[in-house]
Amino acid sequence: MPVTDQIVVRCRKGDARAFHELYEAYSKAMYNICLRMTGHASDAEDVLQEAFIQVFKNLDKLTSESSLTAWIKRIVVNHCLSYLRKKKVYFEEVGEADAPEETEVDETHHAMTVSAVKDAIGQLPDGYRTVLNLYIFEEYSHREIAGMLGISESTAKTQFMRAKEKVRQLVKLKTQ
Amino acid sequence: MKLEDFIKQHRDSFEEEGPGPGVWARLEKELPVRQKTSVVRMMAKHWWKAAILVALIANAGLLVKYANTKQDVAVVIPEMEEMELYYTSKIEQKLDELKTIPADQLGLDSTTMAELELRNETYQLLEKELVNNPGNERIRSAMVRYYQMKLDLLDRILSEQEKHTNSPSTKKDVL
Repeated sequence: MPVTDQIVVRCRKGDARAFHELYEAYSKAMYNICLRMTGHASDAEDVLQEAFIQVFKNLDKLTSESSLTAWIKRIVVNHCLSYLRKKKVYFEEVGEADAPEETEVDETHHAMTVSAVKDAIGQLPDGYRTVLNLYIFEEYSHREIAGMLGISESTAKTQFMRAKEKVRQLVKLKTQ
Repeated sequence: MKLEDFIKQHRDSFEEEGPGPGVWARLEKELPVRQKTSVVRMMAKHWWKAAILVALIANAGLLVKYANTKQDVAVVIPEMEEMELYYTSKIEQKLDELKTIPADQLGLDSTTMAELELRNETYQLLEKELVNNPGNERIRSAMVRYYQMKLDLLDRILSEQEKHTNSPSTKKDVL
């Protein structure tokens, strides 16, 4: 369903149907973000609900220059990070020397499958999974991720490399 | 192949179904929706409007009683007719203002609105009594009280509406 500025205007007027249309347009994509970030369906629904309440109540703060999708996504991601902080997930600073080398999975020997990659990401520690999700799936830059997590850009990058290496190892085990 | 390239190529396969219906059901209860005010809710909220209307009708009933008691009036007020003219024109002006407010926002039903009208059944009844008793100043002064009461009621309804219109919750740019 195409989301128009008209929906935002109607929501601002308190139109119940417009709120539902907005939810219908974004709920699936935003739920998937929550699911990837929390790793649990029930927690993902709770986080999604809290995020949408904030979206609905703050639509008047959305400026005409900002993208509605990016704005909603950022609210959802922030709620996910808040959930992780409550779970005492820490994003520790690491030295750049600890960063693994960039590697590529050799397709001929270890063919990746969607289910193997999904399972591998699911098995990552929360911190690694968060950084990997934000970079690959949500397409934020290392600098943006560093800002969100309160760590340095080099740490964000290192954490991502480690996460990716861990996924590679797990996929290798699953596809052998 | 790099992991990020593989994921981007198969992006759709990584997506799960959307959330369950329970999420929207819970969200719906917290929507910052501006509810359409029903007549019943408005009347319940502004019970005094109804109460004053009752007073108007009761007062009109008293006038009819006056008309039937042929008592001499102790004091004659020469400005009475002028006052009557003043009030009727003011009431007409207020009624015109009232008619610019949408009915659903006003929250007054047609019966109540009819009672507010200047030349309604009650008014016509009083006029008839006055014609039958032209010298009865007591009826005239009672009728002016009736006008005063009606004007006061219209003023209160209009100022209430103005407050409602200017409150932050009703401004277009605020949820």
